[in-house]
Amino acid sequence: MTGTTRAQSPRKRLLRTNKQILLVIISVITLFPVILTVSTAFKTSQDAQRNPFGLFSSFSTENFETAWTVGRFNEYLVNSFLLSVPSTALVVVLATMAGYTFARLPFPGRTFAFYLVVLGLLVPFFTFMIPLYFQLRGFGLLDTLLGVNLVLASTGLAFGTFFMRAFFTDLPTELEEAARIDGASEWQIFIKVMVPLVTSGAGALAVFTFLQNWNNFLVPLLYLPNGSFRPLTTGLFLFVGGRSVDIGPLAAGALITIVPVIVLFVLLQKQVTQGFLSGAIKG
Amino acid sequence: MRLGLLLVAPVMVMVIVFFITPLVNALYYAFVDFDGLNPNPPFVGLDNFVEMFTDERVWAALQNNAIWIVIGTIAPLVIGLALALLMWNVRRGSSVYRVVLFLPYVLPQVVIGVVWGWIYDPIRGWLNKALELVGLGQLQTGWLGNADTALYAVLATAIWATSGFVFVIFLSALGNVDMELIDASMLDGTNTLQRLWYVILPQIMPVFLMVTTITLIGGFSVFDIIFVMTGGGPAGASDVLGTYAYSQAFQLNRISYGTTLALLITVLAIPFTIALNRLQRRLSMQGTGA
Repeated sequence: MTGTTRAQSPRKRLLRTNKQILLVIISVITLFPVILTVSTAFKTSQDAQRNPFGLFSSFSTENFETAWTVGRFNEYLVNSFLLSVPSTALVVVLATMAGYTFARLPFPGRTFAFYLVVLGLLVPFFTFMIPLYFQLRGFGLLDTLLGVNLVLASTGLAFGTFFMRAFFTDLPTELEEAARIDGASEWQIFIKVMVPLVTSGAGALAVFTFLQNWNNFLVPLLYLPNGSFRPLTTGLFLFVGGRSVDIGPLAAGALITIVPVIVLFVLLQKQVTQGFLSGAIKG
Repeated sequence: MRLGLLLVAPVMVMVIVFFITPLVNALYYAFVDFDGLNPNPPFVGLDNFVEMFTDERVWAALQNNAIWIVIGTIAPLVIGLALALLMWNVRRGSSVYRVVLFLPYVLPQVVIGVVWGWIYDPIRGWLNKALELVGLGQLQTGWLGNADTALYAVLATAIWATSGFVFVIFLSALGNVDMELIDASMLDGTNTLQRLWYVILPQIMPVFLMVTTITLIGGFSVFDIIFVMTGGGPAGASDVLGTYAYSQAFQLNRISYGTTLALLITVLAIPFTIALNRLQRRLSMQGTGA
């Protein structure tokens, strides 16, 4: 008996080392496209043209300067924030309000209203993106910050409301009742008692929604037809179409696009993962 | 009740204006011939639907959607599960691996498409270089420009982007697996595959179905990555319903026809979603009951 365990132990250790080696290889393969982007972005422009994909063969920040000024990535970066921040704030605030009602405050027709909202989880954006284009054109909202922010927010509301409702449903009713006995109004109960209890959920929703809006490609592509307020995603796409040979600045632009995403993800991975895992129920 | 209505009103307004109204309009568009200009488009009855069912490119696109759904669902499930099983007992560095493998899923599809386009570059791309290095030089091709490989090359990219996400879901599901059952089955002398099939998989079945639902729905409505990498080309070889609908509506101004195609995506996707959700719910209820 002791013999077998003693014999197993080095074998187990070997297995563990092999696992680690395998995981490192898998991680490098997974990260390879990101490594390639970093490598190409930091090349000298000459090297980027001659040998764009050779790994780390030169170093300069020329490509960033080109992307920033000639490629207008400075504007795109600002626009990405202008399109992602207000729409995210709108989703978090409105979804928290509606989520509370759907969880705690009954009204006639509430179930129907809730189905109407979560129908958005079932129907792909495609289905109504074309009529929405003409509707926005009718409102004069094409090529406006307001229009795209409203559309981005509305695409996130179905999930946001669903997500926040779950948090409010899980809260114990005792707190609410205690506050009511103390003479708090319904509004005070919501703002002072309930909302502070769901801040972690609202935070996860905020991070998740921000990433979705930052990464969104189709909405700005469709509803900013004249290119005003163009964000990084569509800017990058049109840069590819415009000058297919300039790989260096393109890589720099790609890096500018993903650095905020990576930073946010690494810093707030718990919130991001939570958002995406519950986002998984989507559909 | 007054507060309730007040709190829910903004969401309802947004949903009605930016979702329900265009959705109803989509149905209307499908029965008229709208070119984007004429404010009173003529009613054409079922013409758009008839054209859709006789349009060979629709069938070709549907076939590509089907390929995408089958491979794009099975491959991430297998890879994700294999990775999760590999990582199951690993402690050292586990949080780092988790972040690294999940990362592709949070990156914008546009960037993923652009960078993978470099990897697939016919002359200088790393894929062709790597093939030559291992002596498979005869397999070299212009991956995105070749009609036989374009769809699969984009699909491989999508699998790269989703497998890590599936892995993280499975890994957290494996954390809830009853270890006593595993130990018991080991005493019974089962092999690894038997344990996977009879002990582990049944316990993570609800999660398995949830992941299947997500990747399946993604397979119907796939757009960004194909649009960026091939634009549906070459010559429509990698077109799916989404990219075909887009090109009809916004490049040829066939608004009504494009909308009808988009409706088809919804009509196909919704029953699958509902059926899988039902199944998942039933299984997770059984799980809690047992």
